[in-house]
Amino acid sequence: MSMPAHGWIRWILPSLTVLVVLLFWELVTAAGVVSPLQFPSMTDSLEALWREFGSERLWSAVGATMLGWLIGMVITIVLGLVVGTALAFNGFARRSAAPVIELFKAIPSIAILPLVILVLGSTLPMKVFLICFAAFWPFVIQVIYGVQSMDPVVLDTSRALGVRGPRRFFWVSIPSASPYLVTGMRIASAQALILSIVAEIVGGAEGIGRNILLAQNSGTTAYPTMYAYIIVAGLLGILLTGAFFLMERRVMHWHESQRNIRASSKVGRA
Amino acid sequence: MSRLTTSAVPTERTKVPASTEARRRFGRIATVLWLPALLVVLWWVVSANSTSPFFPPLADILAETWNQWVVFGAWPNATSSLQNLFFGYVLGVTIGIVGGSLLWRYEHVRIATNPLIYFLYVLPAPALLPAMIAIFGIGDMRQIALIALGSIWPTLLNTLDGMRGIDAVKFDTARALRLGGWRTYFTLVLPGAAPQIAAGLRASLTVGIILVVVSEMVAAQSGIGYFILQAQAEFAIKKMWTGILVLALIGTLLNYLFMFVERIALRWYYRSRALGGS
Repeated sequence: MSMPAHGWIRWILPSLTVLVVLLFWELVTAAGVVSPLQFPSMTDSLEALWREFGSERLWSAVGATMLGWLIGMVITIVLGLVVGTALAFNGFARRSAAPVIELFKAIPSIAILPLVILVLGSTLPMKVFLICFAAFWPFVIQVIYGVQSMDPVVLDTSRALGVRGPRRFFWVSIPSASPYLVTGMRIASAQALILSIVAEIVGGAEGIGRNILLAQNSGTTAYPTMYAYIIVAGLLGILLTGAFFLMERRVMHWHESQRNIRASSKVGRA
Repeated sequence: MSRLTTSAVPTERTKVPASTEARRRFGRIATVLWLPALLVVLWWVVSANSTSPFFPPLADILAETWNQWVVFGAWPNATSSLQNLFFGYVLGVTIGIVGGSLLWRYEHVRIATNPLIYFLYVLPAPALLPAMIAIFGIGDMRQIALIALGSIWPTLLNTLDGMRGIDAVKFDTARALRLGGWRTYFTLVLPGAAPQIAAGLRASLTVGIILVVVSEMVAAQSGIGYFILQAQAEFAIKKMWTGILVLALIGTLLNYLFMFVERIALRWYYRSRALGGS
């Protein structure tokens, strides 16, 4: 394969691309190739973004989206760890539960959204429930894989040393499974963010998604604001996914299986 | 599945008597089925006398499903959703595979477009829906464009990563065999990345299903998402449940169909892994 690029190219080229794309956006809208009724100019959008950064509206929307994401993630992770570890250690329970988990994972979580809106209203619990429903199944599968991939020698040693119950859970199972867990968390986090936005757009819960739709509904003059909020949603995605990537790479580098996992499930490291 | 195991461990099979084999197989099927069956029965029994407006008895939901979808013919809703999903998905993943291959081939383009692609990948796709409505208006075109736009990135990045993960020795071999550029691509690169491309295709499908339903719920005149939200707005709870049931069924079937096709297409891969003993 080709030689790795020089250090400066790795910085210059991407920055140049971003610049070119922004200029192209501005040119296309300024020259009237795209109607401003459909697509606002780059300067207007960035100006709107700047204005919103100074406003309280943006931060309360970001806060609402993040709060739903956080609560949903905490519930998913705690529940997933407990259920997944229990299933991993019990063969019969695992074989029985596997088809149910696969089935629920295959059900599009969006299907239950209208029902959840009806029962819980346009509230934070509605959002959290939806996030958990979407993120729990893939995560619990990852937990089961992780705990099962544990070195049998480690398990035997811990048994010989009489480590059992909660101590085994925290000091043996979780660290051994950690690479799988972090990958699972990253997938769950992406799901959670998507469902959070969906709950805000369709369900009308407070957050970035609702502000995007509100801006779209209030006519063409608010379109720059709409794109400003879309950019904010993307920045949030970068922040969250990036954080989990760093965790995957830095914290888990000691784990022997990390090499294989990175080779098999890395995504987005273009 | 079963063929895979027989080819991998042929000797062990012959030792087991037929009756034990049958009993074991029955035991396996029973283990798989008892919990889902129990859950359905539980749903049926618990909801049988339900007076809650949100959770009607399962028997009523099933009867209503028959009415709505077979007698009243709500099927066009499902077919229009599936049609949009199909076109958008095929368009998106085609761009994804071609784009991923190009980025793999041209390293400088890859470095240059990295921040852009990463941004579009992590951007939660439903956030683009209002923008799509503004650009394309309300119609199938908007649906297809949104689904395509959402399903490009998981496939593209997985294609790229799969291709980059191929062992360099294999390229030396291809060079030694004097395989041309295209032949190397089709006989080495594409098959080598296939397992991970499949993972990307699956992630794209998940995104695609979410997007088709969300965009129908927000702005559309037909489709299964429209059907469900319309029923919810009319407070026709049973009708809404039938939509949820049908959507869950369709989504689940699509996923299982995908796994089925994947298993056939990647049979050589699973077999080589089973033989490798890992």
